[in-house]
Amino acid sequence: MTVDALMNWFAKLGDFPELAFILAVLICAVPVFLFIALYALVAIYGELKISSFMQDKVGPMGQGVGLHAGKWGLLQPVADALKLILKEDIIPTSADKKLFILAPFIVFIGAFIAFAALPFNQNLIIADMNIGIFYILAVSSLGVIGLIMAGWSSNNKWSLYGAMRSAAQIVSYEIPAALSIIAVIMLTGTLSMQGIIQHQSGFVWGILPNWIIFQNPFTFVAFFIFFISGLAECNRTPFDIPEAESELVAGAFTEYSGMRYAFFFLSEYANMFIVSGIAVTAFLGGWQSPIPGIFTSPAWGLWWFMSKAMFLIFVMIWFRWTFPRLRVDQLMNVCWKGFTPIAMVNIFGVGIWHLMLG
Amino acid sequence: MKKYFANIWGTITTLKTGMGITWRHMINIKKDNVTLQYPEERWPRPERDIGFEHEDYNVIRSRLHVDIDDCIGCLKCERACPVDCIKIDTIKAPTRGEDIPDIGHTGVTENGTNKALVVSRFTIDMSECCYCNLCVYPCPEECIYMVGGPNSPKHPIDYEFSEFNRKDLIYEFSKPLTSEQKSELMNPKPDAEA
Amino acid sequence: MGVVQGDQMVLNIGPQHPSTHGVLRLQVRTDGEIVSEIKPYIGYLHRCFEKHCENVTYEQVIPFTDRCDYIASMNNNFGYVVTMEELMEIKVPERVEYIRVIMAELNRIASHLLALGTYGLDVGAFTPFLYMFRDRERILDIFELTCGARLLYNYMWVGGVSHDLPKDFERICIGFLDYFEPKIKEYNDLLTHNKIFLERTADVGVLPPDVAISFGVSGPNLRGSGVKWDVRKDEPYSIYDRFEFEIPLGEGEFGTVGDSFDRYWVRVCEMKESIKIIRQAIKNLPDGDVFQTIPKKIRPPKGSIYRRTESPRGDLGYYIISDGSPKPFRVKMRSPAFTALSSLSEIAQGWMLSDVIAILGSLDIVLGEIDR
Repeated sequence: MTVDALMNWFAKLGDFPELAFILAVLICAVPVFLFIALYALVAIYGELKISSFMQDKVGPMGQGVGLHAGKWGLLQPVADALKLILKEDIIPTSADKKLFILAPFIVFIGAFIAFAALPFNQNLIIADMNIGIFYILAVSSLGVIGLIMAGWSSNNKWSLYGAMRSAAQIVSYEIPAALSIIAVIMLTGTLSMQGIIQHQSGFVWGILPNWIIFQNPFTFVAFFIFFISGLAECNRTPFDIPEAESELVAGAFTEYSGMRYAFFFLSEYANMFIVSGIAVTAFLGGWQSPIPGIFTSPAWGLWWFMSKAMFLIFVMIWFRWTFPRLRVDQLMNVCWKGFTPIAMVNIFGVGIWHLMLG
Repeated sequence: MKKYFANIWGTITTLKTGMGITWRHMINIKKDNVTLQYPEERWPRPERDIGFEHEDYNVIRSRLHVDIDDCIGCLKCERACPVDCIKIDTIKAPTRGEDIPDIGHTGVTENGTNKALVVSRFTIDMSECCYCNLCVYPCPEECIYMVGGPNSPKHPIDYEFSEFNRKDLIYEFSKPLTSEQKSELMNPKPDAEA
Repeated sequence: MGVVQGDQMVLNIGPQHPSTHGVLRLQVRTDGEIVSEIKPYIGYLHRCFEKHCENVTYEQVIPFTDRCDYIASMNNNFGYVVTMEELMEIKVPERVEYIRVIMAELNRIASHLLALGTYGLDVGAFTPFLYMFRDRERILDIFELTCGARLLYNYMWVGGVSHDLPKDFERICIGFLDYFEPKIKEYNDLLTHNKIFLERTADVGVLPPDVAISFGVSGPNLRGSGVKWDVRKDEPYSIYDRFEFEIPLGEGEFGTVGDSFDRYWVRVCEMKESIKIIRQAIKNLPDGDVFQTIPKKIRPPKGSIYRRTESPRGDLGYYIISDGSPKPFRVKMRSPAFTALSSLSEIAQGWMLSDVIAILGSLDIVLGEIDR
């Protein structure tokens, strides 16, 4: 279901290319939005339950609807979403209204349009661009502008702190993330998401998947650098200093409530999925089956992609409920003195290894 | 340089240990779980008497209870209360140690003390009570005490005495008296003496 | 090249803020992330404890001492009754002394658990906080078993205790200690030795010994700076001279002596020492009547007294003036958390905003005791 296929189909109906383009994009956008909303519900439920299990409690539980949150608390995320939608939407009097209203949508759009290039399986990709991975890296940093707008327009000191911190953090961590992706691009020779996945097909000695993470030791390191930088980009613990609740109350979101806050929330989870999606595509073989020869149909492809991405999201949740958070200068130290040099060395390592053994 | 790598290594190992602990807790949740699903399950209260002869003298400090038939109106508990949440009014009884069936007044306590006073008002404002237990010990008749917990037949498990109205938290223990009965007690008719 | 001076911003941390440990307002002047000036404003929880004491009788003061440091009520009771007994020259039975020590040390563990847990929360670790609350809950269960209350006990009375121990208290208490001792290692693995935690705490907010002494800081905060001072050892009250225990000191294991980590670590070690004391006390627990020496009427002779005890937060002193009536003429409480807070502006200056929160957490203040 790509945009191109839809446009071809419209072309058969008549000659209206501009309208066909808009229609095709809209038809693709609605399911993606629904997917994000549905996935966010699942992820919130997972976060509640996993955190509870790690903390020796059972999390939301109940026997029925009503005062209880359904069997095993399954309705809890729905209740959360309803609460956020029904809540009063407060705009502080001293806030810059236009920016304040616009900010959550810009943050969300940054996460939303990145979904266009995520390959869910062999065919299920909205736009298989030849610069797919570059596109995702580019648009996913759009959220920073929204965060700064939110922090500045709220006219709140905590929000300002949160916005400044997150801007510094996200911009810095783009670099190691991009550098470790460069290592992948060197191996695959393409920027297209499907192309990267195609490169990882096959098996080494018939058993070990030919995924990039297993292809040489440097890409193994690159995966971790990318994943941890990705954590920082979506403001998850141990890098959640922009919204550090014990210091900054809620960071850039302090003044937000109701639906606008829900959009920030949604985009945080959407960002988690994008980071996992890129990691899966670039390092873990995308929708390729880890078992030789079987489960290779497109439906299984979707399953493999989703399960790999969900596993990485689980690891993010696991991190969050285990670690304390870093201080802002330590965060920068880790980025500039730790990840960036290692990622640089990695590029050389990957290149040399590829030349010698590849 | 060595320090740099030692630092990285230390980070990885210590973070791994922490993740191992949370992982173990997550997979052992069935065993480790400490949650009680509150309305369905209740916190177990420790079962114990604390050595008073009265079996209701339970160790649980849940809420105050007064056996008004045993109360002699000595005001010792009122004086002991640090927050003044106990309010007692008394009227001199016409005859010492005699029952007045009209108003449900018993003349003799369980310990055999003859009562000289009719308790016309005995209120405890539980919203003010600080559960210090100080009123329990001075009572010569052992009639004011904390109840609750499994030992107490009157109040099985009793730690959630919420009310919709704040006035409902003022507990009235004395027998209800109409104003006529009250004035009758205060100004005894001369022929009652005779 | 001149010095680059950015715009300064005044920021109010609190009175409603997730990590002010009660209702405290910190007015900080920040230059970017760097905090250049801190002014703590207290009094939001002022309940006129000292004036109130002048209007109630001596035994009615005890429930109010509970409510000062509500995290360690037993220790507050303990300090008051020890002072009163010295004023009235009451010698309490052996059993009462042992029970009091057991309760005070259990409450010390509970208080330190809360301090460590919230400190973990301040630096962003949520899970250790819940583990520690789970174990604190078990201690509260023991207290409930003993005296019926979970938080504000009013357990120690002048001349005795309000309830004798339940029948199988020894078994339950030893059972808890056996359960709890391995948990300390788990906390250390999960939080203490975590590299991120060390980065956040080691070398941060160093309180040098001379500064600590000049501010009158006491308790674990003082011992974290390497000063060996513990009222239990140096001015033994009750029967603390009979027990074998160490005084853990901050050694600057990962940074400088007196940093936030040392204050944290001293508390972890003190929990182990408290376990030792409780084990010894339970082993030697004598029989006897706990109500024997409770005076019918508390009417101390004219005079005044100051006595200090070691609460989980430090030297907790009571100054009591008696004019011979059943009500105290004056009760003054020397609060250890107050002095600890007063040193904050000295040690947290020049650190980052996140560090101020971490340093405040490491001082383990309880606003109920500071404001009284």
